[in-house]
Amino acid sequence: MNKSSIFICIPFLLLVPFLFLNAQNDQSSSNAYKKRVLETAEVDFLSSYYSQDGDNAAVTGGIGSEALTDATGTILVSIPLNDDDVLTIDAGISAYTSASSSNVNPFDGKGAADPYVASSGASRSDIWTNVSIGYSHSSDDRNDIWSVNVSIASEYDYFSAGVGGSYTKLFNEKNTEVSIKGNVFMDSWTPIYPSELRPFYGGNGVNNILFTQYSLTGNTDYNPRFIPFKTKERNSYSIGIGFSQILHKNIQAALALDFVQQEGLLSTPFQRVYFGDIDDSFIQNFHLADAVERLPDTRYKIALGGRLNWFVNAYTTVRTYYRYYFDDWGINSHTASMEIPIKIANKFTLYPSYRFYNQTAADYFRPYEKALSTDNYYTSDYDLSKYSANQFGIGLTYTDIFTKAHIWKFGLKSIDVKFYKYDRNTTFQSTILTAGFKFVMD
Amino acid sequence: MTCFISSCVVVKEYEKVNINDPDMILSEKKCDRNVVVAHSYREAAVGANGGKMGGGCGCN
Repeated sequence: MNKSSIFICIPFLLLVPFLFLNAQNDQSSSNAYKKRVLETAEVDFLSSYYSQDGDNAAVTGGIGSEALTDATGTILVSIPLNDDDVLTIDAGISAYTSASSSNVNPFDGKGAADPYVASSGASRSDIWTNVSIGYSHSSDDRNDIWSVNVSIASEYDYFSAGVGGSYTKLFNEKNTEVSIKGNVFMDSWTPIYPSELRPFYGGNGVNNILFTQYSLTGNTDYNPRFIPFKTKERNSYSIGIGFSQILHKNIQAALALDFVQQEGLLSTPFQRVYFGDIDDSFIQNFHLADAVERLPDTRYKIALGGRLNWFVNAYTTVRTYYRYYFDDWGINSHTASMEIPIKIANKFTLYPSYRFYNQTAADYFRPYEKALSTDNYYTSDYDLSKYSANQFGIGLTYTDIFTKAHIWKFGLKSIDVKFYKYDRNTTFQSTILTAGFKFVMD
Repeated sequence: MTCFISSCVVVKEYEKVNINDPDMILSEKKCDRNVVVAHSYREAAVGANGGKMGGGCGCN
């Protein structure tokens, strides 16, 4: 049995005890009364504004500006088709502007090329769009739930198509829930490479106009290692097992175990790497790439997470979460978070939160100029480096269960506004402001 | 696992008013979805939180 087969089999073996338990399921369920799974159509508008900065951009080999802003808008519509079935449509758009992406081509002729200064090139911004359609069916006793979903996502150099499904079983008078889900994403790249490397594959190399238009400094015998990636596909397969249990009338907990396998082009084609054993070549203030990152074409990830929520009293709830993650690229990670919703008035709830995250470095991570030309795999992407991060958040929710405010046939049920500040123990930091509006149909 | 579950007190439907509070949901809330996405792009760890586990490059 190969590694891949073992990876797929483990989740099913873990399900056996649950299936046995299911066979002993109580017979308490009744078909006497069937409540609609979803009483009426619901519409959620979600939006966010994200901003980040740092000095370790992957596009420029571990140095340079990581400044990026991203504005996202999503509409999520849930429609009850009948008593048992719900159709969900999820459509989103995200527009970003990125200093590091702009430096895929830093030679825009508008000022000296510099990894810490954004270029005005076409790669400085992009738009990501996503549409996902889901369908779920619940059994008459509401103890069995099946769902399927399909999705597509697109941006300039990347396309993703996904399909997934899940099955959930409730028993023990709906005190216990077991679920299994699977997803497949079939993605494809349109690889974009750093501009100074492009003349070195089927081009005229250092005789290209780029190197005659600008003066080479440092090592003037610039000869990077550049062969375009043959594989342009990236496939991801995931299987997740979930288990939740009501422990007390005020406490419930959940466990989740996820297995992810990825294969194909797992490197990012425009992320530069600088070798320590190659003399440096420059144009203006910009260090020319020695290569682009090279990462293995497979990756196996396993994540085990748990939640425990405690309804302390009518004013306070405690929400906790922990996750341990590891993969075969050498990364181990711990995530822990706590949110304490506090009802401060009849319709208002405050959401203070804290989240801790840390990870070890991938085996292939090398800081700026630390990779060697003799290495098989290398990346200077600091998202794969060793670091820890703290995130503090605050949010406010307005809830009107009577939905007095209306737009056409939809009543406003809630408004959520949240702000999070995230700091790594490197130079990276980010903030995100989110807002959500929930409407229900009359 | 079976023993563990059977040892728990069974909470009846009419006792679940607190368990059914929206803040007791055992997953990320919808309004936090973009925060989870940002984490999945910037951090190596993914999964086991109801968030996305694949698809999209997350490379910018």
